[in-house]
Amino acid sequence: MTDLSAKPGAAAPRTSAFLQRFAVPLALVALVAVATAVQPSFLSPNNLQDILTQAAPLALVVLGQAFVILVRGLDLSVASLMASVAVLATAFNATSNAMIPVIFAAAIVASALVGLINGLLVTKRNVSPFLATLAMMIVLQGVRFYYTQGAPSGALPEGFRFLGAGRIAGIPVNVIAFALCFALLAWLLHKSSLGRKIYITGGNPKSADLVGIRSDRVTILCYVICSVMAGIAGLFLVGFVGTVDNWVGRGYELDAIVACVIGGIALSGGRGTLWGAAAGALILVLIFNIVIILGLPVQAQMIIKGLIIIIAAALFAKAVKA
Amino acid sequence: MALTDTNRPARRWRLDPSLIIVVLLLAAVVIAGFALSDRFGTTRNFMNVLEQASALGFASLGQALVVLVGGIDLSIGAVVTASTVLMAGVVETNPALMIPMIFGTLLFGAAIGFMNGYVTLRTGVHPLIVTLGTASILQGAVLIYTLQPTGGVPFWFEEFAYGRIGGVVPISGVVMLLCFALVWAFLKYSQTGRAIYAVGGSPEAARLTGIRASRITLLAYSASGFFAALAGAYYVSRTGVGDPRVGDPMTLASITPVILGGLILGGGKGNILGVLLGVFLISLLSNLLNYMNVSTFIQWVIQGLIIIFAVSIYVHKGKKL
Repeated sequence: MTDLSAKPGAAAPRTSAFLQRFAVPLALVALVAVATAVQPSFLSPNNLQDILTQAAPLALVVLGQAFVILVRGLDLSVASLMASVAVLATAFNATSNAMIPVIFAAAIVASALVGLINGLLVTKRNVSPFLATLAMMIVLQGVRFYYTQGAPSGALPEGFRFLGAGRIAGIPVNVIAFALCFALLAWLLHKSSLGRKIYITGGNPKSADLVGIRSDRVTILCYVICSVMAGIAGLFLVGFVGTVDNWVGRGYELDAIVACVIGGIALSGGRGTLWGAAAGALILVLIFNIVIILGLPVQAQMIIKGLIIIIAAALFAKAVKA
Repeated sequence: MALTDTNRPARRWRLDPSLIIVVLLLAAVVIAGFALSDRFGTTRNFMNVLEQASALGFASLGQALVVLVGGIDLSIGAVVTASTVLMAGVVETNPALMIPMIFGTLLFGAAIGFMNGYVTLRTGVHPLIVTLGTASILQGAVLIYTLQPTGGVPFWFEEFAYGRIGGVVPISGVVMLLCFALVWAFLKYSQTGRAIYAVGGSPEAARLTGIRASRITLLAYSASGFFAALAGAYYVSRTGVGDPRVGDPMTLASITPVILGGLILGGGKGNILGVLLGVFLISLLSNLLNYMNVSTFIQWVIQGLIIIFAVSIYVHKGKKL
């Protein structure tokens, strides 16, 4: 509805421009300050590494979710896909680390297929993204439970543990993986012509078509990217958690959307950066940590998450209106 | 975009085209039921299905009203859960409060719905996000309070779920049908009811014709919370406890009949009777699949495929969530 005002570079008053530009870094600094004040050991290298390890799988999902939201979509199937990929990985029942690339390849192909179906439903059948991905979420869940009959069995190569929780020269392996994905996707979004097409499609799909962009293809590609990132995240999360169950990644769909919203990706599409999305993921994980540090019950995270998503979305909606 | 939605055909006494799919599917399920199972086509079974359909019926009715004004309510499951815990939790220690708590719980649901509507209107944030946030807050609060089913209600309250009028017709099913009838008449004959369609079609246009669009929206969200709490009351009556997980599948489940019934996500169009038929379709289908020993897991797959099937058949140009 706010297509015109949603264009990047639209004039906005100073305060809201300031808010949009600096809210995310300011929030990060404030959170680190709060955490350090409550627990001085927060800033120790070991703790920071732990937090980054914890944040990496979510951040991987967030990168993908950002692409979908940028083209006015939403993907609620990511968490279900993560668990399905985890179950797929155990289906190989492999013990040799040599199988890891094969498992990754299979996971990426399967995820891309899921993304393709989501994208086709949204573009070619004009199904609302919310419904298409919600239905995909249950279908995946049903298939997964039927295959495992309730409890997954089957081995995973030892190497997954290293991928999910190991460190190279003190840097968590999954953070390195995140950095690689981020570099690739940030280049794609912010430097390549495809990135510009994504922003134009998200800003207004009709005008994108008018200037010769095949907005349907761009949109489908964004869903594929989102699903592939979720699939990869699922494998890293399994490595981090150490066990596979039918609910690996449960709740990540909401977390990923919250992180994007906090990071300034507009749900109306076409606005926001990958930097913001990644920072949003970090902010969310920091908040979860502070809840624990403060000794609050874990469930309080859900309350805070709910409040944050509404408040953050409201702030950004206000900034857009102004 | 909204302009294309206004040239809907005049309403006459013929089958609403948006109902054709649900009617056909329903007929298919019933025929399959008679053919495949000798226990399916009995009065006893149909009455059981009617009873078990009531929770889904309440939840879908609320969801339908929100969808009609162009919104979506993803907090229904959490409201159902919170209502069961609130009701059973309070009443366990004070059985005398049972009757006030029935009203209290329904009021609680309506208040949560009102909040959803208010925040949506006030902030301009998409209802999807607002109600998802509300759901997270409520679920978190419930889980802090209890991780296991808890509380209790007096024995007589079981009558709401298990009681049978004349030993045959389930009370809860009748209440559900009455609610649908009331909402149907309200939408068709009252000014406010018609205003719901107008607001869903285009809030701007509705406002210009003198309808207080925001009041209508608030009413729809409050009704959604109210009916979700009613579904919660049914579960308490059925199980006797407040269960911190009982509502989990309800949010999604409440959307399926709405879609099947031909209501357009985006608002302004659709027949509430279609939603009722959608509720029967889902309930009878799951009943039949149970008789045929089809696993719950496969039923999930079927449910997802039905949603995809239904939404891809109704290709709506223009507005969507």
